[in-house]
Amino acid sequence: MTAVSELRPGLRRSQRRRRLTAYGMLAPALLGLVIFFVYPLIASVVFSFTRYDLLSDPQWIGLRNYEYLFTQDPKVWIAAGNTLWFVLLLVPVRIVTALLVAMLLASARRASGFWRTAFYLPALVPPVASVVAFVFLFNPGTGPVNTILRFFGVQGPLWFNDPALAKPSLLLLGIWVLGDIMIIFLAALLDVPREQYEAAELDGANGVQRFRYVTLPNIVPVLVFALVTGVIAALQYFTEAAVASAVASGKATVGEGAGQTIGYPDDALLTYTQWIYVRGFSNFQLGYASALAVLLFVVAALFLVLLLRRVKAFTPEEAQG
Amino acid sequence: MKRSIAAIAAVSAVSLLAACSGPSNQEIDPTAPAHLEGTVSLWHFFSDREADVIQSVVDDFEKANPDVTVDVHSGQDDEKLQKAISAGNNVDVGISYSTDIVGAFCSSGAFRDLGPYIERDGVDLSQFSDTTASYTQFEGTRCALPVLADAYGLYVNDDLLAAAGYDHAPKTLEELEEMALKMTTYNPDGSIKVLGFNPLMGYYENTPTNWALTVGATWLKDDGTSNIGSDPAWAEVLQWQKAFVDKIGYDKLQAFSAGMGQEFSADNAFQTGAIAMQFDGEYRTAFIADQAPDLNYETAPIPTLAAHSDRYGGGYVTGNIGGIAKGSKNPELAWALLKYLTTDTAAVVKLSNGLKNAPTTKDALASPDLEVSPQFQTFLDIVANPNSMTTPPSKVGAGYQQAMGDYWNKWQQGDGGDLTDGLAGVDKAINDSLSLVEGP
Amino acid sequence: MRRMSPVTWVAQHTLLAALLVLFAAPVLFVALTSFMTNDQALTATLWPNPWSVEAYVEAFERVPLLRWFANSALYAVLATAFMLLSSVPAAYALARIRFRGANVIFVAVVVAMLLPPQITAVPLYVMWVKAGMTGTLLPLILPNLLGDAFSIFLLRQFFLTIPREYSDAARVDGASEWGILWRVIIPMARPGIAAAALFLFFNSWNDFYGPLLYTSENQEWWPVAYGLATFRGSHSTNWSLTMAITMLVMIPVVLIFFFAQRVFVEGITLTGVKG
Repeated sequence: MTAVSELRPGLRRSQRRRRLTAYGMLAPALLGLVIFFVYPLIASVVFSFTRYDLLSDPQWIGLRNYEYLFTQDPKVWIAAGNTLWFVLLLVPVRIVTALLVAMLLASARRASGFWRTAFYLPALVPPVASVVAFVFLFNPGTGPVNTILRFFGVQGPLWFNDPALAKPSLLLLGIWVLGDIMIIFLAALLDVPREQYEAAELDGANGVQRFRYVTLPNIVPVLVFALVTGVIAALQYFTEAAVASAVASGKATVGEGAGQTIGYPDDALLTYTQWIYVRGFSNFQLGYASALAVLLFVVAALFLVLLLRRVKAFTPEEAQG
Repeated sequence: MKRSIAAIAAVSAVSLLAACSGPSNQEIDPTAPAHLEGTVSLWHFFSDREADVIQSVVDDFEKANPDVTVDVHSGQDDEKLQKAISAGNNVDVGISYSTDIVGAFCSSGAFRDLGPYIERDGVDLSQFSDTTASYTQFEGTRCALPVLADAYGLYVNDDLLAAAGYDHAPKTLEELEEMALKMTTYNPDGSIKVLGFNPLMGYYENTPTNWALTVGATWLKDDGTSNIGSDPAWAEVLQWQKAFVDKIGYDKLQAFSAGMGQEFSADNAFQTGAIAMQFDGEYRTAFIADQAPDLNYETAPIPTLAAHSDRYGGGYVTGNIGGIAKGSKNPELAWALLKYLTTDTAAVVKLSNGLKNAPTTKDALASPDLEVSPQFQTFLDIVANPNSMTTPPSKVGAGYQQAMGDYWNKWQQGDGGDLTDGLAGVDKAINDSLSLVEGP
Repeated sequence: MRRMSPVTWVAQHTLLAALLVLFAAPVLFVALTSFMTNDQALTATLWPNPWSVEAYVEAFERVPLLRWFANSALYAVLATAFMLLSSVPAAYALARIRFRGANVIFVAVVVAMLLPPQITAVPLYVMWVKAGMTGTLLPLILPNLLGDAFSIFLLRQFFLTIPREYSDAARVDGASEWGILWRVIIPMARPGIAAAALFLFFNSWNDFYGPLLYTSENQEWWPVAYGLATFRGSHSTNWSLTMAITMLVMIPVVLIFFFAQRVFVEGITLTGVKG
């Protein structure tokens, strides 16, 4: 590269000009990355060594926040466990059900128009609205689900009010809004070259084998994409759980604030990011909340380092092609 | 934007290492201003009907001070109030629903030290009861004044009481349990139809703070650390409560509670007659008058365990508190409004009549204008009763009550393990979080 | 092409129809309940009797719904407009200009897009406090002027699909990079730009965490998603009222979808499949 540039000073000049243009176009975004990403990332680490309540100046307290986090915080592992539950169950369940629906639509040749829209639409409903709707549907007293169950002589469970069923209830919500990944799967399924199926059929492959040897290899990239983005979304699972708790608890937040209902029932819906919110913006322990955030960063970063390269869309190579 | 970044840089670089700067002793004018003018903002947590009551008193203040405009922000819970004060929003006077924030707000300076104002204007603090005076200061700093008190007692549905063959409210928990079991009826499918008393911790006002009164259990030691494990009274009430829960069945109670109406709505289970007896605050009398005027009920002090019957007559006393925010741009106006809301007899009586909260000044209590129903009188007696208790201010706010509530919740489900170990665990959780906010 | 046996056809369509009922049921029950009277909604019945629009009327009386909608619209429209201004050129530079540092910047964009926003919440909150802007929607709108990572990513993916020949031809004619972006890429990438805009619009419209953090103490600035979430907290078991508001929150989003369906589906597909 250098040798070429030396031989052709004109090219080097045009390269420099191009770089200037590029950075000109990128300037606002670069500034944004620094102010809204790089700086707060570093500041989070700094804050995590302090005690800070916004009212008085931050005080350096060394590793005290981390000591509390790892050895004394009574709920951080409950919160981490709940988040892990969503990562391990919500993500695969959504992927599998979305894939099944997409395959059904594809093989029934209903991959566009009404049917596709019908299954996609719930994903568009604002999450707050869909959560409120689900808590209503499953409310133990007058909810349609338990009313219908009662009609069949079944005493319905407490759903969002039962610590054991609150997370599975959100799983049902997660399935209802599977449209976002279903659409991607559908597009990928339709992109599978038909000749491959025909060839497999000539070889006498049955349905399962066709899926295993033709469909699957073709849609692996989308599956990985859905997995990576799904895990990332599950790590930051917040709105659905917070709103479900607030609505299901039926408690008026008369004077305490949002932090009061978070986790209901019995911390079953307390996710890690909500715990950051409670400690940071309900208890105003901003230093400690930063320590929690740093731990989340480490976990998320490890995950990204492991998996980012496997998603073609997230790697930069092609830009240079 | 640039300025803010520079500010951050300064904060991160310099003040991280700076020593703790406590609330500064602000200078105030030697005399109160003769004429008040300007705009003052009032942030409070009330909403709907209760907000209207506050507004009516604010209107009176504006009438008395024609050049003053009060900018009212209703529905502001503690979380929002603290956000607004920390962010330097335009908050002059803030009213919180509970005393829990006093510890944090006094020590951090979120609420200003009222001492200089009180001294200058010669406000007589002895007009407040000892309890309300105590929970509005922290470690010697008075940063708040009581804005009415809440007292908690026992509400009893007289029709259900009579139907079960009783003519008086229970005085001991043993009595309460026996009566409650008799009042409880079931649906054909085995689920609860009417519940005599809901023993579940966490239901409506079944808070550890109310249960504490049944045995006179204490929360904190003098140094602010937890006393829960060291006070044997806690174990007594926990054991009684769990035994009661088990008699009906945790799952059954849980199913019933999940289907109950929201506490501050017209569907409150006591108001609809689904619950015969419950712990509640004096404000419930106003909700009943508004939403269930035909309900036939009486009120009584919190019952005690028979072994603690000498403590009978009291209840849990807490209250709303008001203070002047750190960033108040017009502290004199804020002080005038706060003083009016907390010490003007006409204002206190009007607030009390409207909100059905207990007035906190002696003059207001003695005022002939104070409307007192028999049910409400119980709570005025509770406020005056020496057996009544409150929750001490702490730097962890209500954190120590939450720690207790969390363990209690496990305990009533049978997941609490050994009670002594469990309560020691509560001690540790409270002391750990205290040391996190207090420092080494 | 494989031919489908009638049995398979019937089986598949029965299954699809059953699934469709399950997927439609939640919205159906929400709609039905919203047309009940308050009293009826408190009972375990499924069908409104009588039908009543009481809840919808009450919804507008009880809460400042129009204000909430206006706030949501302001948030979503401004955020989207600002994002387009800042992110389209950035995405173009990353997709089409070869320069040293491009890879690093692209990876930074992807990482910024993927890391949970809660990681940086505390310092950003402190920053907006110092800037005196908490209690408003500005902390959620203004950053879009400085690029939005997901939008940059999405736009770049779309720009990559436009054949290079077009821009090369313009370059030979002496067009500058800005000129190519303006005259060649933007006209050709309209569907992609529309998709990115719609995504950000919906994300802003649906945002709950941001308003909770920054505007919870100022009702004047509540967007409708946050208002709905806090509504039931203070207004109890009034399900018909809650469901009426839920319906009102859903409807605009669904309407926009029907007008822009193709753009939307293409955009989603693009994030995962292409590139």
